[in-house]
This record gives sequence, C-alpha cells and structure tokens, in this order.
Amino acid sequence: MTKSFILTTILALVGLAFSVAIAQHGMPGGAPMTFFVTSEPIGDGGNLGGLAGADAHCQNLAEIVGAGDPVWHAYLSTQARPGQPAINARDRIGTGPWHNFDGVMIARDVAHLHGDTLELARLGNNLTKRSGLTEKGQIVPGLNDYKHPRDGDWEYVRTTPYSNRHEVLTGSQTDGRAFTEEFDYTCDNWTSNLDPDPAQPPTGLAAGPSRPNAQIGFPDRNGGGDGSWNSSHGTRGCSQTALVRTHGVGKLYCFAIN
Amino acid sequence: MRKIIRWVLISPLLVLTALDTAFTQDSENMPDSQDIPSSLMTFFVTSEPIGDGGNLGGLEGADAHCQALAAAVGAGDKTWRAYLSTQARPNQPAVNARDRIGSGPWFHSKARLIDYLGRQLNRPIIQSQIHGDTLVEAQRGSNMTKEFALTEHGELVNGIGDPLPNRHDILTGSQTDGRAFSDSEDRTCNNWTSNDSGSAQVGHSDRVGNGNMSWNSSHATTGCSQNDLVSWGGVGLFYCFAVD
Repeated sequence: MTKSFILTTILALVGLAFSVAIAQHGMPGGAPMTFFVTSEPIGDGGNLGGLAGADAHCQNLAEIVGAGDPVWHAYLSTQARPGQPAINARDRIGTGPWHNFDGVMIARDVAHLHGDTLELARLGNNLTKRSGLTEKGQIVPGLNDYKHPRDGDWEYVRTTPYSNRHEVLTGSQTDGRAFTEEFDYTCDNWTSNLDPDPAQPPTGLAAGPSRPNAQIGFPDRNGGGDGSWNSSHGTRGCSQTALVRTHGVGKLYCFAIN
Repeated sequence: MRKIIRWVLISPLLVLTALDTAFTQDSENMPDSQDIPSSLMTFFVTSEPIGDGGNLGGLEGADAHCQALAAAVGAGDKTWRAYLSTQARPNQPAVNARDRIGSGPWFHSKARLIDYLGRQLNRPIIQSQIHGDTLVEAQRGSNMTKEFALTEHGELVNGIGDPLPNRHDILTGSQTDGRAFSDSEDRTCNNWTSNDSGSAQVGHSDRVGNGNMSWNSSHATTGCSQNDLVSWGGVGLFYCFAVD
C-alpha cells in the first residue's frame, strides 16, 4: 500500500516536472529561443578571444541546453584598425524577430531592437528584466538584487549567483554601431584583460587615451541613469575584477542569426 | 588600549571603503534616508486614484489630487501638476503634458543618505531624456524605472509579475514625446471628464507590457469607467511633477 502510494507519487511528480519543462520551453509565444544573455561569462574580463571566441561561447552555451541548431553570434562591435574595418554589432545578428527562452519576442527586427526612428526609440523594444533571460531561462540579477557590500568583488560574485551582474559587454553605441573615436570601447577588440595604469588620472567610467575600457548595457534596463540595454557607460578596465567593480561579470547578448 | 589598537587597525579600512564607494559611480549600496518623502521630492506616482475612472475633474481636479497627496506627506509647499495632456476643442487649444511640469530635473520620494562629501548620489529624471528629444536620448533612455516611479510614500507601484491588482497603467493622454494627440480620436477620456465612454492613453510605470517600454504612451484603454481602467491593468493613477 505504502509502496504503491510512493510509486504513484513519484510518477505523478515526474509527470509534473516533465509537463512544466515542456510548458516553459517555447511558451507562451511558442517560438524557439533565438536570443539569450549568457548565463556564464568567459571569465577573462574583456579578453573573449575576439569575436570568434565570443561567438563560440554563445554557440557552446546554446548547445548545452539543446539549442545549438541555429548559428549564434555575440552582440559585439569591434573598432576599426589599420587595414581592418569596424564591425557593427547590429550587422552581426541576422534580421529577427528574436525570442527569448520563454518564447517572448524581444524585438521584431533590427530597427525595433535599436529604435532606428524617434518613435521606435521612444517606445523601446521588449527587452526587460523579465524578458532578458539566459539560455537556461534565468533572470539576470540586476540593480538592487541581493545588495551586499562585496557585490563589486569578483571573489564574492563568482560564488554568489544572485548578486547584481547586469552589465553586459557590447562595445557599441546606442544604434548598435561601433564607436568611431580612437579611444578603446571594446577591450582592444575583445582581446585585452588589462586595466588602466593606476598612475593615470581617473576618468570615471568614460573612455580616454590609453585606457582599456568596454562599453556596456543592462538587460534589466536599470542603471547608469538611462537603462540603456546596449550602450550606457564604460568600465573600470578590462580585467575580470575591473568588470565586476561596476556590477558586470562579462556576460554577452547572443542572437541566432538564421 | 586594546580598543584603540582595534580602531587604528580598522580606520584605514573604513577610509578605503568610503573612498571606493565615492569613486564607484554605479555603486547603489548607499542606504536610503529614513525621511520619506525626501525634501528633494519633485516627482511621484499617485498612491491612490481619484477613483472615478477617467473623470478626474479635468486638469484642475487632477492637479488638486497631486497637491492633496503631496500635502498629506508634508510636501505641499511645492506646486504640483499632473502629467496629463488635453486635446484641442473648438476655441480651446490642446495642452501638452510636457509643457505643464516645469523644467526639472526631478527626484523621487527617496534620497540616499548624504555621504561625507555632501552628495546624495541620487539620479533624477531629465525632461529631454524622458521624452527622448534626440534620437540618441530616445535610444539610450532615462532613469524612469519601476524603482524610480515611486508613490509619494516611497512605495513601489505594482506592475507585471507583482501581486494583483496590477496598477501599472498610468493615465497620460499623451504621445511618446509628451504632447497631446492631434487626431480626432479620444485619448483623454474627453479631457479627463468622462467616466463612461471614450479612451485614455496610458504608460507603464514598470516599463513592461504591450511589447514596448513606454512610461507615458504604451497603449489606449477601451472605455473610461473605473472598471474599464481596471480591466486594462490600472486603477487610474497618474504622474505628479513639482513645477518649482
């Protein structure tokens, strides 16, 4: 009697878990995931191994959750170098529409995502804290989540999954294009984990001469006084610990391009 | 003696921590002041609606509601205006919400404790940013977030995902640029006098819903009764700004 009861309960629970899993994937929009925020950073600050390394990180995380069929690209720009033109993040992500883990649409197309016209920009896209999910369907911890005096310290943040880590690397302007100034906005095109010389006068979170730096945005749309998803401000440097000081860990936006 | 040694050991640490906080722009760890509303408050979302749907008694009635709620929390010495537009009528030009609220910047009802340099590190909202007057401003956004859009009591307004009822539909009657609609359709519950037929343009104080993030012009309601507003996810709250 007891045994069969336990067995029934277990079967019921397994069934429940299964249906929950089905219900979450692709619901309510019913569309497969074509957008996510990386659940984990690469972990070497702004050195992502270039665009190729970042794309591979997106692809790898997608494959782990069974979403590896499309080609995934990281939403990152690189700046122009001698003999090497700039690359704009907005030109790397296909045409959309893009849907998150829950099947909720983030944006219809590139113009909607970036707000290419005044009206589109004022309305905004549909990327919010509730929709800016990781490939595992998790909300990215943002401003005011589990505040702690050490939530800008990598040693604390790496072992504390719920503290604020909302600064996502983009290296882009608000329109999704690369910066044209010569200052660094991309941690040397995503190859540098260096920090500014401590002897250099502080410039806050703005780019400056010989200053390793990355432009970031917020999936929770809260921070920097503007809540820009792709271009709010810079970082303290390009090392992993420098990214964490302003509440980022080096997460990336990933888009399926086909 | 032991105490002194302990302080000698701790104080450089404290100084270092304080310095680090001061120089970390994005540090949001400073505790809030206990004084709510802050004397800096120049913006709030009404904690309660007037309660008669889209009939606010016109702009005067809505302004009086802002003023009364502010006075109830000791902020009645400022001049408060409701962020509402009215549409043009014969012999009566349109009124734009953005032109009624002064020039800002505006602070919400909470302030951070003053740090040792006298700064409160409290980010305001800016006229040109909340309305996205240039393309880059519109793309970048403003500090108008769910956590900024507090009531005069310093409380959050329930939005998507919070316990029901959802109160995030905020009456504005405005376009995204803060100006009145120029078409003939009703967007203002007959210039805030109807509790029956008509329609009101609303924004979302939590910046979630309807596939966009607009705080002032996300969608229109169908109908202007209190029940109509509730069916769309609001109760008839509006934004109040101090003009002086």
